[in-house]
Amino acid sequence: MTISKVLGFKRTLVRKMDIYESGVNPSGSATRQYDVKYYLTAILFLLFDVDLVFLLPWALGYQNAQDQTFMIYGFLFFMAILLVGYIFVINSNSLKWEE
Amino acid sequence: MLELILETLIKAAIIVGLPLGSIPIILVVERRGAGFMQKRLGPNRVGPFGLMQPLADVFKFLFKEEVEPSHVRPFFYTIAPLIALVVAVMPLAVIPVAAPFDFNGKTIFPEVFHTDLGIFFAFAVSALGSYGILVAGWASNNKFSMLGALRACAQMVSYELSLTTAIVAMIFLYGSNDIHSIVAEQTGYWFGFLPKWGFFVQPVAAVLFLVGIFAESNRLPFDLAEGESELVAGYHIEYSSIKFAIFFMAEYVHMLVLSGLFIILFFGGYSLLPGMELLVGDSALMLTIMQVLSFIIKISLMVWFFVWVRWTLPRFRYDQLMMLGWERLLPLGIFNLIITVLVVHFRNH
Amino acid sequence: MMFVDVLLTVLTVAFALLTVFSKKTVISAFALLMTLVCIGGIYYQLGSVFLSAIQVLVNAGAVAILFVFVMMLIDLEKYPNNTERSKIKLIITVLTSLVSLGVLALIINNNIDTITVVNLSDSSMKALFDRLFTQYYIPFELATVLLLAAVVAVVVIANNNKQHPGKE
Repeated sequence: MTISKVLGFKRTLVRKMDIYESGVNPSGSATRQYDVKYYLTAILFLLFDVDLVFLLPWALGYQNAQDQTFMIYGFLFFMAILLVGYIFVINSNSLKWEE
Repeated sequence: MLELILETLIKAAIIVGLPLGSIPIILVVERRGAGFMQKRLGPNRVGPFGLMQPLADVFKFLFKEEVEPSHVRPFFYTIAPLIALVVAVMPLAVIPVAAPFDFNGKTIFPEVFHTDLGIFFAFAVSALGSYGILVAGWASNNKFSMLGALRACAQMVSYELSLTTAIVAMIFLYGSNDIHSIVAEQTGYWFGFLPKWGFFVQPVAAVLFLVGIFAESNRLPFDLAEGESELVAGYHIEYSSIKFAIFFMAEYVHMLVLSGLFIILFFGGYSLLPGMELLVGDSALMLTIMQVLSFIIKISLMVWFFVWVRWTLPRFRYDQLMMLGWERLLPLGIFNLIITVLVVHFRNH
Repeated sequence: MMFVDVLLTVLTVAFALLTVFSKKTVISAFALLMTLVCIGGIYYQLGSVFLSAIQVLVNAGAVAILFVFVMMLIDLEKYPNNTERSKIKLIITVLTSLVSLGVLALIINNNIDTITVVNLSDSSMKALFDRLFTQYYIPFELATVLLLAAVVAVVVIANNNKQHPGKE
């Protein structure tokens, strides 16, 4: 990046420094109100991701476990709760992007 | 101590330098491939068959003026491409190109950073990939880039979920997180001809992973972050010159890393391609060379697949993209995981 | 390796302080992110790749992204009163620090042996898994119930605010 700074041509124009909005004069600020869905997606991702990350040590621990049947019951319970949450999210339509 | 540092430095230079050096080749393949698919020539003027085109591009990027618009947030605007590149390059450290081999009576691991949790590490670091894009979009202070960044971020996190289910299923199947033992599991043949690749055991997980890596690396048909027809260029709209080039490089490195992970999990990593055993014989050196060659061939095929898909499929609409991620792939991944676990369990008991 | 340890510790503390004292919220959020990544590095130095990967994956990769999202989505510079200093804030700050220091002192006082012999190598991770999936299996399962409650809360709160239709 430094090389480019030195080598690059420089010509400062006010227009060039403006916000690009397809050549039209820029209007309004970029920090406006965005759809809450973006945030909702992020937070739901976080919750499900934590759920799934719990399964990684589970998958590694299964091989060495003494009582593997017990492990499977725990896994099924875990997935059942996860699925309940998932079905709730889908039914609430909070992730539907078209109105 | 000195020897260790030297060894690490040499490995780092090779393993980071090779992918970065291969980006120009990928660029040529992509542009000529596009031409091939659309029945036109593509760039063919610079050098033989247009092979020097990327070099010309690099010089063009270097000599272009670096515009820093007046409305950006300068600090974040400058570090965003660097974040993107560093985060993209870091997972390369754990991807091995061959099995551990003996050199001067010492076992050398052909990756920069050897750990039992290779897959996990690579996955954790590439989860940070959305920061580069998010920072770029926000720092540009432009509505197009902001929207592009938001879209990219929401899309990447959505597909990461189904990707995680695929990874959990594969780790459960192999019972290990160590890349070398995962590859060892996949060496050999069923019925004498079918390679023991994860793809044949877990096709559903493979498809989930494949779709996931297209979404994670923001490639068509999932390049909603830069959908030209609506967002002009998305998150890098205010970037010019070498900063733009760095984003480009980061995208390609990310693609290579994810392809590498895909190959390790589903296509046997560096295990030999069918028929290559005949070339190896007894020589240990030949074995390593052939393993590196197999890995490179597999990666090249993946890159060609990326190009192929890019010029074949049209772009998704945003709501279709999110629907596919949340309402199709995620439940598919969850059920695939449950079925895998149950089948493995009842086969053992 | 001593040098790396010291460097990581200094960085962690520096970023943590920056998180608290920075006037710009976005810088705070990024300092928090860096703090989390540095803590991941400390875990790695202590010998546990597993913990550092979890730290980076969950805390830095997912939790911090929420903070950054919020900071970027709403223009917090529009609300200047968040830099105001009041007596109540001061009292609360002092109280919380005292309480957390007290808890820390209590823990160190009582379990000084257990704290000093913690071994974070990856072979001990196997032992951790054994414990986690036998003795502590129920808390492990209950974590998902907790997450389910969080999912429900998120969806309900988000759907409550439908009267302010957002823009895409």
